[in-house]
Amino acid sequence: MWQVAPAGDRALLVTLGRSIDPELLGQVLALDRALQDRRPIGLVSTVTAYASLLCYYDADATDPARLDGAIRELEGKVEASVPSGAMVDIPTRYDGPDLPEVALRTNLTPAGVIELHAGREYLVYCVGFAPGFVYCGALPEPIEVPRLASPRLRVPAGSVGISSRQTGIYAVESPGGWNLIGRTALRLFDPAADPPARFRPGDRLRFIPAS
Amino acid sequence: MIEVVEPGRWTTIQDRGRLGLERFGIPAGGAADWFAARVANELVGNQPDAALLECTATGPTLRFGDDAIVAITGGQVSSAAGWQAVGVARGSSLAIGTIAPGLRTYFALRGGIDVPIVLGSRSFCQRGTFGGGFGRPLAAGDRLAIAQMVGHEPMSEPWSPSHRLPLQGPWEVRTIAGPHPDAFTPGALDRLSATACRVTPEIDRMGLRLETPGLRLQPHEILTVPMTAGALQVTPSGELIALHVDHQTTGGYPVIATVISADLPLLAQARPGDTVRLRPVGMDEAARAGRRISGWLDLDP
Repeated sequence: MWQVAPAGDRALLVTLGRSIDPELLGQVLALDRALQDRRPIGLVSTVTAYASLLCYYDADATDPARLDGAIRELEGKVEASVPSGAMVDIPTRYDGPDLPEVALRTNLTPAGVIELHAGREYLVYCVGFAPGFVYCGALPEPIEVPRLASPRLRVPAGSVGISSRQTGIYAVESPGGWNLIGRTALRLFDPAADPPARFRPGDRLRFIPAS
Repeated sequence: MIEVVEPGRWTTIQDRGRLGLERFGIPAGGAADWFAARVANELVGNQPDAALLECTATGPTLRFGDDAIVAITGGQVSSAAGWQAVGVARGSSLAIGTIAPGLRTYFALRGGIDVPIVLGSRSFCQRGTFGGGFGRPLAAGDRLAIAQMVGHEPMSEPWSPSHRLPLQGPWEVRTIAGPHPDAFTPGALDRLSATACRVTPEIDRMGLRLETPGLRLQPHEILTVPMTAGALQVTPSGELIALHVDHQTTGGYPVIATVISADLPLLAQARPGDTVRLRPVGMDEAARAGRRISGWLDLDP
């Protein structure tokens, strides 16, 4: 059952599920496409995450009950498939400041952590938090670690981090609470580019160890 | 041309913000107190999306290389008469100075500030370090060119005091419950709404950290979801964070309630130590609050 709840007086949040699951992401992206196609009256823009979708609306053109109805009408009718967007290699220097601590916590050597993190395919579940930041999953269980107890005030652009079942790349310098294990020189956010973010949900990526 | 002699504490170029780019991690941004900014543009006869200066705590000192018509709104300054269009002669200087009460003052000049549009807006985006002409807050020596975004004649009268928002706490801020009521124990929002929250020194355009004396909420975790301005996030340690215009576009802390858009300007003017009381309202009251303010703006100049 989808849940539709107000997120203030300008947006509705649609929750499709509560897990990190490629099929669920497929449904989110299918709902997003259906809404772009049908353009219910008053819908301004949408934002997707792992298993949810936010609809910003123009309160002068529609009311939340009407938009809620237009969204619910699509339940069970969107054609979802497991996302399989472009595959991109991310050359990564595994010299992050938290790599030794992650190795310690997971009873692995740093090389063991790198071997598990690199060389496998990840799905981009979400672009958000800060400009161009990518949330990817799912991380193999042996290298799952919780987020840092206190976040860093400054994480450099290009940092590759892990947190519970997720791995991600900081596209711009920002605060951050993920364990930093590496860094890529790939530019993930460019305000002059169209689109400005290098990845979108449904893309796939692979970290390639580089020196 | 206007030269920045002293930049002030944190002065940025803003407009109405950029819509629809949250999917790239880019917040809407724009003037934090959108109402005061909009009035400043109205007073000098600008189009509503002309760029202006948002000054924080201490405003800049500006030297005018041209005659100009300017208006100052929002947080109060002692250097100039606020809420009215005034002429400034070429060669003169204006030191905007300390802002109080209120935190943010808007400085509009007739025609607007001429900076390039980046991703649909002239606003400075702090997290992405782009826009706002310089990709940073103003610095001494910056030169601001005047644009041609004029919409009508400048207003001859000051903006009516009865058509302004309060600039001083204690603040009453209206909220819509949710979107994550399930993450909290029943009655949590009532308890929060009965609490006099206190603004901490940790405030910026991204959000305000609030203390909730005598109350410790203990939410369940949620999966990362999209976030809106006004979202009242509760961290695992029970801290309250009110997201503002430059907010993170997604987040993993549950949101107990969301500030209505008509009251976001109040949070833009709140200062550390101020008291904030939250009051849950229905969609009808939120709509009425929005219509009340837009009604003030629709008055013919």
